[in-house]
Amino acid sequence: MIEVEGLYYSYSNDNNFAVKDVSFEVAEGEIFGFLGPSGAGKSTTQGILTGLLQLQKGDASVAGYDIKNISREMFNKIGMSFEQSNVYSKMTAKENLSFYSKLFDVETRDPIELINLVGLKGKENMRAGEFSKGMKHRLTFARSMINNPTMWFLDEPTTGLDPAIAADIKDIIREHNNKGVTVFLTTHNMYIADELCDRVAFIIDGEIKLVDSPKNLKLQYGKKMVDVEYTQDGNIKKETFSTILQEDKDLLNQIITDKEILTMHTKEATLEEIFIKVTGRGLV
Amino acid sequence: MKLLSSFKKELILASRGFYFYVELIFAFVILAVLLFAIPQNFSSTSTEYLYFNLPQQGREIFTDIILEDDLDGESEMVEVEAGGKTFNAELIETDEEEIYIVDSEEAVRMLAKTYRNIGAVIELNNDNQLHYKYYLQGYESARLKNLISILNNESTDVLIERIENQEVRPLSTDYEPLNDRENTIPPLIAFSGSLMGMFVMVSYIFLDKKEGVIEAYAVTASSVWRYLMSKIFVVLLTSIVSGIIIIMPIMGFRINYGLILLLLLTTGFFASSLGLLIASFYNNLTKAFGAVYLIIILMMIPSIAYFIPGWDPFWIKIIPSYPMLQGFKEIILPNGAVAYPLIVSAGFLAVGIILFAITNIRFKKTLSV
Repeated sequence: MIEVEGLYYSYSNDNNFAVKDVSFEVAEGEIFGFLGPSGAGKSTTQGILTGLLQLQKGDASVAGYDIKNISREMFNKIGMSFEQSNVYSKMTAKENLSFYSKLFDVETRDPIELINLVGLKGKENMRAGEFSKGMKHRLTFARSMINNPTMWFLDEPTTGLDPAIAADIKDIIREHNNKGVTVFLTTHNMYIADELCDRVAFIIDGEIKLVDSPKNLKLQYGKKMVDVEYTQDGNIKKETFSTILQEDKDLLNQIITDKEILTMHTKEATLEEIFIKVTGRGLV
Repeated sequence: MKLLSSFKKELILASRGFYFYVELIFAFVILAVLLFAIPQNFSSTSTEYLYFNLPQQGREIFTDIILEDDLDGESEMVEVEAGGKTFNAELIETDEEEIYIVDSEEAVRMLAKTYRNIGAVIELNNDNQLHYKYYLQGYESARLKNLISILNNESTDVLIERIENQEVRPLSTDYEPLNDRENTIPPLIAFSGSLMGMFVMVSYIFLDKKEGVIEAYAVTASSVWRYLMSKIFVVLLTSIVSGIIIIMPIMGFRINYGLILLLLLTTGFFASSLGLLIASFYNNLTKAFGAVYLIIILMMIPSIAYFIPGWDPFWIKIIPSYPMLQGFKEIILPNGAVAYPLIVSAGFLAVGIILFAITNIRFKKTLSV
């Protein structure tokens, strides 16, 4: 569904690349997570794939359309939910969705059905400008489904939502994916990626460091972590070590030899911990 | 269909916004100014103070000659105050002048000084010849001073002969000038229609940029040009409505409204496209305002030339608002040329299309995530 090969992008049109030699593929029906901290190049990559940024170097195709020469037809197949809510504040929720529904050449969904689906029932005639941040975000999310997309780009779809609403949004994503919709999920939230994604790519400083399924990553990195609680100079300290990385193993040996161990547990690594281990950087 | 939907959406947004009503209110304000503040013809009468320091017979000859041009053939005795004093004067009103004949040189001097008008004392010199003394304000042109000098030094017979021998050939025999109120319409229409349209267009774009809706539009199956064109349609609509609000009550049905609509549409299209192009270079209204302000100032320069017929340098004719003004003037002139507004419309349409094409490319390139 998505094929990307050797993608580069520079905002200043020089060698200061926001995205460097990015290559990956997303299969049809897959939920692909694009994970990284702010400024890593997630939104830039997504911007190129959705035509918001012009392709400078490399090759990319989305839903069978070459991104070098984007056809407006492509947008009949794709949906895009933005991180920043971008709806017309002077128009009601229903007017917003009705307007966008007329900009596609394919059968579109009933605006009221979508408004109800994202938990905004009864708010259809309220102007978006009167909505809370979370409500606007849900309306933006609802709009991305208006044309029944087969390729769905979601940029931080649960940001700013309370846990109950976020759970509903995740259910909607799963439900659509079960119907065959391919999802390209951009997020820095490892929990949502862990819950939803078939595969994830870790991107940092514009480069992809790793692409694999959360399951494989956990098999590789999980259960090979050890939580150790020990005393040092009268204080209790707690650290986590990989049983794979030589550097961690040496440190663990040193602590076992030199310190008084209070507790020691093997544990399954979270996606966030794996990210930190692989990239050496946090997600904030 | 997509363009129509976008246009409907823009109409909804405009009707719930601020700028749409600003334009219409502005048009009504202009109309009120035209109807109640600008007279059909500005008063061009001048005031003069004369003292004939002559024998009674000579004074009567001069007074009778002036009185021949009086509106009702009779003078009026009035009192005029100046410098804390009250002076008696004989007032003679003609089409072009109010002439106060006073009875002392002091009165002439005081009145000329107080009311900043020309005064003159006509008297006999030692050779028993007429002598003219003028009280000027100091800012009169050299031409006027020369003229006064010639009038009083050349023989009257020579002057009359030269005037009579001047050949005057009218370039157009069926030319009917506009009255002052009608003559004020073209610059106001150009300003309220086109220049306001440009400013409003820039404002519309930045409202959308602020809300991020341009990106949302860009990921639909509709093209960016439709988004831009729908905005232009709204600006054109308000431009036409505000133009008609100003023109119709003044001109009635005496003018060709087809031509007016055509010129309003093409100049509005040009100005809107220019506004869009400016907006494509900036991220917010504050940053764009400098460029918009400069262009508006530049576009207003031909309005100055419009009201000063003697000042019409070539470079002014290159400024787009110059043909805009002249085009509107030709349309409302009773015997104006039809070809000129048509040519001007074609020009603005062509330039507007070029600007729009450039703008479309720029908007496609500058959409950010």
